[in-house]
Amino acid sequence: MQPDERGDEASDVAGAMTPLHEDQVHVLRLRAALVAALIVIGAFVLDMAFAGETPVPRYAVPGAVLVVALAAILILPRRRYRAWGYNEGEDELAIRRGVWTRVRTVVPFGRVQHIDIAQGPIERRFDLATLILHTAGTRGAAVPLPGLKHDLAEAMRDRIRAKIRQDLV
Amino acid sequence: MTEGLSEARRLHPATLLVRWLKLAPQMAGGGIGLAAAGRQGGFAQFLWFVGIAMAIGGVFTFLAWWRFTYRVGADEIVIEKGIFQRQRRVIPFDRVQDIAIEQRLLARLFGTAKVKIETGGAAKDEGNLEVIALTDAQALRDHVRRGAARIAADVSAVAAETEEPLLFAMDLKRLLLSGLFGFSLVFLAAIGAVLQQLDQFGLVEWDNLVTAERAEAAAGFATVQAAFLLGAIVVALGVVAGVARTVARDYGFRLTRTETGLRRKRGLFTLSEVVIPIRRTQVALIESGPIARLFGWYALSFQTLGADQKEGGVQVAAPFARMDEILPILAEAGFPAPPPRAEFHGIPRRALVRQASPWLALAALAAGAAFIFDARAGIGAAVLLAGAVFALLRWRKQGHALGPTALFVASGLLRRRLWVVPFEKAQIIFVSRTPLQRRLRLASLLVDTAGASAMRTSEMVDLDAGVADATAGELLARFHSARARLRPVAIRS
Repeated sequence: MQPDERGDEASDVAGAMTPLHEDQVHVLRLRAALVAALIVIGAFVLDMAFAGETPVPRYAVPGAVLVVALAAILILPRRRYRAWGYNEGEDELAIRRGVWTRVRTVVPFGRVQHIDIAQGPIERRFDLATLILHTAGTRGAAVPLPGLKHDLAEAMRDRIRAKIRQDLV
Repeated sequence: MTEGLSEARRLHPATLLVRWLKLAPQMAGGGIGLAAAGRQGGFAQFLWFVGIAMAIGGVFTFLAWWRFTYRVGADEIVIEKGIFQRQRRVIPFDRVQDIAIEQRLLARLFGTAKVKIETGGAAKDEGNLEVIALTDAQALRDHVRRGAARIAADVSAVAAETEEPLLFAMDLKRLLLSGLFGFSLVFLAAIGAVLQQLDQFGLVEWDNLVTAERAEAAAGFATVQAAFLLGAIVVALGVVAGVARTVARDYGFRLTRTETGLRRKRGLFTLSEVVIPIRRTQVALIESGPIARLFGWYALSFQTLGADQKEGGVQVAAPFARMDEILPILAEAGFPAPPPRAEFHGIPRRALVRQASPWLALAALAAGAAFIFDARAGIGAAVLLAGAVFALLRWRKQGHALGPTALFVASGLLRRRLWVVPFEKAQIIFVSRTPLQRRLRLASLLVDTAGASAMRTSEMVDLDAGVADATAGELLARFHSARARLRPVAIRS
């Protein structure tokens, strides 16, 4: 299904959005692959355990699971990657994400309580990092922005931190 | 400074008795358990167990009481506690948001009170002085408040606590009336549950009250009347319970203006006193149930940051009031009055596709099932149809308006809610679209605030996508200008 692109263009309060770093696709794909591998292996094990006991032909279920898993590994990561975008404005950070339910989040810098930079094992391989802005909000108290080169994440953190200080004057 | 508070003090000796008595049910329970576990049980053994347990409990209660001391200094309050692991907590006055005083029934008999020191931090009990003499509690509060005010504003002489201006109060007539509207179905369920419990203990033989034989015996005579009578009794019980609960909670309700906030005193058995600090109010909420609204009664509450989290950070400021009583309180707390209904923007008609049509589709399915399989499915169809009608009616009530200083969001059909969200209180702005919303060019807009409850949010559902984006941008611009106005000395390089 082709999503309504018009709505998204109109949605950008602060103009076009910056995509995440290209390598984030690989991070998403590796993560998906890890999860998918576990599920596929589980499916095969169950299939062996119940072989001949069910009317379902052998390898049918794990085969289907494998196809879905391959789709999730090959197709979804790129779509998920494309759904992400951010825009570092003068006074706020805007983030767009979500393949199905699209969410655009705007965090005014004046509202940031503290900033984290997180790096998982897969992210570290690609020198990527996730910038997390913490606010006093309720629903999305922590707003993550993944897929930034570690240097960039640190630079953004420093820029945002400087603006928080200004705001406190 | 208030003399006599500066040396280390212990809690009121009544603490000992209160805490020890609170132990009793657990100890008795434990005693029963142990006695049951013992082979040749018996009442004497049970008493022994309970006696020993209560004695040990008493020793620990005494030690805990002995170790718990508090000291009020010139700039801070120091609480020391702990039997084995000792803890010393220092709370500086300029971090104290407020001190809440609560008096439960038992405490009132002893003339003591529970003091809660709130700093707005994350910890749950930051400084609880469980039982101190009421006069001490009040002295402590005044002392801390003066200390905080002195440090905050550098004003050494804060006016002595004079009669605070009264913003809202409820007399007995109003209280009883509000109790009548406080009737809720939840109570009926609770009453039913209690009756069932009594039945289990054999106190009330519920089954004998309404048995098949009796129903049959009465069938030719008065089944319908009996059903009506039973219904009437249950409803009456519900009304009485509603009134009783409201009176117990809101008796002597008074809202006054303090230097920094709104002070609320209420309670029949448990007296509570809370100050809602104005600086920490985030969002105002005016709500009313369907019948109360007919008679022009509304409730006003404030969502606050870091205050007593028991009610999800929402503090009631006026539980049952006329709109012209609510507006001055709103103004006092620095919130603008909501604009007239005509200035609210509704949501587009196509939102109904999302909000009502699923109900209609299901209703049609159920109706089909009723014709083909079982006529009883017709009941389901009727219920689903009612759901669709409900959605249609509710659709008309949703709306939002942008005032000069705040966003207003209206929602709900039976229980109507009106949120007042000042621009500068926004934390994060969300615009979200589900796949169906994208097809319909709709979007939901949420201005997230601090201290909001996860259940009831001021989310604006199913706005036109363009309107949602424009509103988000507008909100952001107004947020920045409001913040800039709040901080006139902000340096922008």
